[in-house]
Amino acid sequence: MEDRLKCVLYVEDEPDIQVVARLALEVLGGFTVEICSSGEEAMVRAPEFKPQLILLDVMMPGMDGPTTLERLRVLPQFSATPVVFMTAKVQPDEVARYKALGAVDVIPKPFDPMTLAGKVQSIWERCHA
Amino acid sequence: MLDPAELQAKLQLLNDAYAAQLPEKFRQIEQAGESLRQAVWDEEGFQILHRLVHSLSGSGKTFGFSALSEAARALENELKLIGEAKQVLDDAQRDRIGHLLRELECSASQRDSAVVLQSESIATSTPSPTANFSGRICVVEDNLEMADELQAHLSYFGYEVSVFLTLDDFRRAMPRHSNDVVLMDVNFPEDSLGGIHVMTELQRGRDVPLPVIFLSAHNGLDVRLGAVRAGGVAYLNKPVNIGILVDKLDAMTSTQVSAAYRVLIVDDSASLASYYAEMLKQAGMIVRVVNDPLEVLGPLFDFSPDLILVDMYMPGCTGTELAQVIRQIDEFISIPIVFLSAETDLGKQLSAVGFGGDDFLTKPIEAEHLVASVTSRIKRSLVLRSYMVRDSLTGLLNHTAIKDRLAHELARAKRQGKSLAFAMLDIDHFKQVNDAYGHPVGDRVIKSLSRLLKQRLRENDLVGRYGGEEFAVILADADAAAAMKVLDSIREDFSRLRHLAEDQEFSTSFSCGIADNSNFGEGSKLTDAADKALYKAKHAGRNRILIAG
Repeated sequence: MEDRLKCVLYVEDEPDIQVVARLALEVLGGFTVEICSSGEEAMVRAPEFKPQLILLDVMMPGMDGPTTLERLRVLPQFSATPVVFMTAKVQPDEVARYKALGAVDVIPKPFDPMTLAGKVQSIWERCHA
Repeated sequence: MLDPAELQAKLQLLNDAYAAQLPEKFRQIEQAGESLRQAVWDEEGFQILHRLVHSLSGSGKTFGFSALSEAARALENELKLIGEAKQVLDDAQRDRIGHLLRELECSASQRDSAVVLQSESIATSTPSPTANFSGRICVVEDNLEMADELQAHLSYFGYEVSVFLTLDDFRRAMPRHSNDVVLMDVNFPEDSLGGIHVMTELQRGRDVPLPVIFLSAHNGLDVRLGAVRAGGVAYLNKPVNIGILVDKLDAMTSTQVSAAYRVLIVDDSASLASYYAEMLKQAGMIVRVVNDPLEVLGPLFDFSPDLILVDMYMPGCTGTELAQVIRQIDEFISIPIVFLSAETDLGKQLSAVGFGGDDFLTKPIEAEHLVASVTSRIKRSLVLRSYMVRDSLTGLLNHTAIKDRLAHELARAKRQGKSLAFAMLDIDHFKQVNDAYGHPVGDRVIKSLSRLLKQRLRENDLVGRYGGEEFAVILADADAAAAMKVLDSIREDFSRLRHLAEDQEFSTSFSCGIADNSNFGEGSKLTDAADKALYKAKHAGRNRILIAG
């Protein structure tokens, strides 16, 4: 049982957001964080990093979030890994659509760095309740 | 774990770095915006523009630019419509986009200062004149006898006093005393309102006024008004009633002394618990974290929290079960228990409250919300508790409360292998004071002794009013000899205090008996022994302290 969340992968193309997210997740959440700048990079690095939870930016150049999720799900070790979309679009129907794609939740952007780790932790706990 | 102040500083640096990039981003947006003014649809240029705006909308607030996020969002929504049509813009559309672009640039000047303010607004209060109080009082009084008397009396109450006999002396020494409270006589030989004039002059150059109490034989409104304008926070008529003066000084200087709130967090998630702990610590609270709910009893007794935050779902024991267990311990029957959970089902929340919880906070919790809920819960419970355990005249623990605490403290001392002393004090010939000067004067004497005890004993010593003129003191980590030393100096000073009743002055004394846990390990035996020693002290002539043998 993976009861404690330790390893978080964040796929995000914006360098500013990468820095602040890493700080927020590592310092406030105490997680080990790996950042990938694109879906393609995530496909290569996720298998060795073995994240317990993946945060995916939706709108990225090249492979976008939903496509990255689809490709990750094909790999057996990520068939059930909780994936959270990070996106500015949080209309209820869009949230429903992302969940239908297999995301466990959606964290709206822009996020508050002070509460991001708490949100991620509570999503994790909900997945394992 | 990174120090929260350090984290704040780092986030602030990131925000500044983000701010520094904004002009370049606006330049890129402007350049990409050119594509919309062309006579043919430029899909590539449009996509670049859309991405740049989207990026601002998704990041601004994270870096303390909420207004920028919102302005970018508005522009993005407009762009989405245009992107679907893929047609060259008409004039109205061009105007709208131009307007939204200008708003976007303006919004960048509105920074939230969110990262810093979030904690500052919680942690700091408005600066009060006594916020940096040095503990020193400057007495400025030309009458030597009067000055000496003030100095002597105030020092009994733990205040350090510097005396200045002339206004010039005070003016010269002032820079060294800028965090002191000033006791200023109004009338000086060279100027009948000299005290007010000098204070007015000194306050002029200061951001935070010097707290000053004026002492005066004048009672006219004009003089009082002048005193207020010179920063006077109190105005006392001569002859000065020391009791009232000390009340004022205590009230002025006690705001910073109030003990920090103590919060116990029970949450099996170490990271989340420490996150909440940091938030509460930043607000000045003392926090203890327990990750295993089955280990809560030790910290509960040792740490004596003011409030318990309990995670709802934990392995081994649920939050509601834990609350029920805690409520079955007499000492914790009224402690606020607040549940933390991702539970949004109101029915489940209510049943949790039914099982002994006081409140329910739904995760994720904003730092400010957490601090505000915890603070208001603790405040309310402390007020309620004070009604139950405090004596109304002195604010000391009442008879029942001090006996409860004695049992509690004895158990703790035993667990930790430490010594503990218990003392019983009784004011000598108190009935005569009441008979001669009336009950209000008697009450003032009781208050002056209670204040003396509170000020001179350590913060973790406990003082209670045991009966009419009888007091009980619990000195943690002290044996009878150590207690004797500190209480005897208080006894000496109390006997030198002069109380004022109408125009008469009188003094009084107390007798005291001390016992400690090396000979008397049980609550009732300890109180009996101290009581017997007190009785012996009375019979040996009063105004003395005896140790139970």
